[in-house]
Amino acid sequence: MEFDKKSLLKLGKLARISISDDKLNNLSKDLNSILEFVDQLKEIKTDQVDPTSNALNQKLEVRDDKVDTKNSAEDILENAPEKEMDFFVVPKVIE
Amino acid sequence: MKDSYTLKSLAVLLENNKISSKELTSEYLKNIENGKELNCYNTISQEKALIDAEKSDKRRKSQNLRSKYDGIPIGIKDLFCTKGVTTTASSKILSNFVPNYESTVTQNCDDAGLISLGKLNCDEFAMGSTNKTSFFGSVKNPWKSVNSDIELVPGGSSGGSAAAVSADLCVASLGTDTGGSIRQPASFTGTVGLKPSYGRVSRWGIVAFASSLDQAGPITKTVEDAAILLDIISGHDEKDSTSSVNPKENYYENLNSDIKGMKIGIPKEFRSDKLPASTQKSWDECANLLKTNGAEIVEISLPHTMSALPTYYIIAPAEASSNLARYDGVRYGLRVKGNDLIDMYEKTRSEGFGDEVKRRILIGTYVLSSGYYDAYYIKAQKIRSLIKSDYVEAFKKVDAILTPSTPSTAFEIANEPSDPVQNYLNDIFTVPVNLAGLPGISIPYANDENNLPIGLQLITNSFEEQKLLNVAKNIEETINYSETPEKWWLK
Repeated sequence: MEFDKKSLLKLGKLARISISDDKLNNLSKDLNSILEFVDQLKEIKTDQVDPTSNALNQKLEVRDDKVDTKNSAEDILENAPEKEMDFFVVPKVIE
Repeated sequence: MKDSYTLKSLAVLLENNKISSKELTSEYLKNIENGKELNCYNTISQEKALIDAEKSDKRRKSQNLRSKYDGIPIGIKDLFCTKGVTTTASSKILSNFVPNYESTVTQNCDDAGLISLGKLNCDEFAMGSTNKTSFFGSVKNPWKSVNSDIELVPGGSSGGSAAAVSADLCVASLGTDTGGSIRQPASFTGTVGLKPSYGRVSRWGIVAFASSLDQAGPITKTVEDAAILLDIISGHDEKDSTSSVNPKENYYENLNSDIKGMKIGIPKEFRSDKLPASTQKSWDECANLLKTNGAEIVEISLPHTMSALPTYYIIAPAEASSNLARYDGVRYGLRVKGNDLIDMYEKTRSEGFGDEVKRRILIGTYVLSSGYYDAYYIKAQKIRSLIKSDYVEAFKKVDAILTPSTPSTAFEIANEPSDPVQNYLNDIFTVPVNLAGLPGISIPYANDENNLPIGLQLITNSFEEQKLLNVAKNIEETINYSETPEKWWLK
């Protein structure tokens, strides 16, 4: 069992998702099943193979360095759950 | 679906003033209202659609049309950001999100004068193949088995997009496809679903799931309509650095169903004893039909086919876990109060995401975490290279590849496998295409013994959409599939 209670809670911390106790059992079963499924790849030899991160063989273009007026603070803040002046408001971070 | 509207036929009706855009839009809005039970739309843009239709009628009067298709209403998957119109990705975490910008694809549609009827239901963040992971509930497939009242899944993730076209709640729609999310629901609903080559269509403004796999594409009633909509949405976009600079073709204008001398590959690894007999029969019949029409049928091998699905279930969750990190309750979307910043993040994401999305974020986080990154993520990327090179080799020998779209026809909504991996198997025939960045299309071929549509998939080399559409058109012309679902929702 790769995903026991302790490792699941750690994973939840890394992913910033709180996992309640009543969900732990099912989640552990599901994730172990997925892991077992993908583990079949271990049998394939890949020592001489380069990884593919993107199927498109295209050089990334550099755009012109010019100023535009898109993305105003007002636009960006429009959907903020909580804001003040030009800032997003979050719970206090520093005591 | 010869008797119902298509983009092509509506363009003619509008041109000859047989119908106005406003009348047409009202007709579809009425169909949507009458078809509410199907749960296809998350948002219906009633007012805006009618205003836009009136504007189109004015443009027509003053001979100032944006395109031949100006004034035709379509449906849009709720994954495309639309300015001023709620965009939820069918997730609780985005249920209040109203973008103040427009995705390139929907902007292209607007530039052609197409009108949006609203936003179509889908699996949450496009993660699923049943449409059951949507926060707004399942879409119902317009199709039912003969003599049965049991509700069936429309497929997913673009389930609403496919069901709406099949049920005439729009004439055509936009979907997205990360591992089969256009082709699989098209197959389940008797519609045409096209996933373009990676890079053919801009991803800018589409809610990101797995950025190296996501592509937008059309779901339509005919191959011609797929070509028309691809013409409208495709092309280079400077806002998407992965959008291709390859010039696009005039897909509709150059549509040519002559396939004489073409070589069509049948990959032996796609054969399976588990395939339903009716699907196998359709696949064989279609190969014979292409042969009769002048193509040569060649058995080919794609040796890493069986590795595609596990590879996908490392790469897609890895990219998703990174992409979905942005939903933190700070800048937009849901916020759940917490004792401190971290607690707020954790509660927001725990309440805002559904179970399948959480599973994928957690698996993605795991395969990217220290100590597992090489063993899983890099390993999967290496196998992705092997899968891609299978296709590179195959396309040295053949022009196109023919396979079934799905390992089954539509199944019961209530029939939920308890193991998530069982659900993943729905995409076994479609996933390799995304990993290799190729274009693929699902077209309806026949109905099975329960009167449910069977879809077949064609695949060509990257940026050979024209050839893909041409072969699809040849099949469509020959079989003339004209089944439509009985409209049981109109009681």
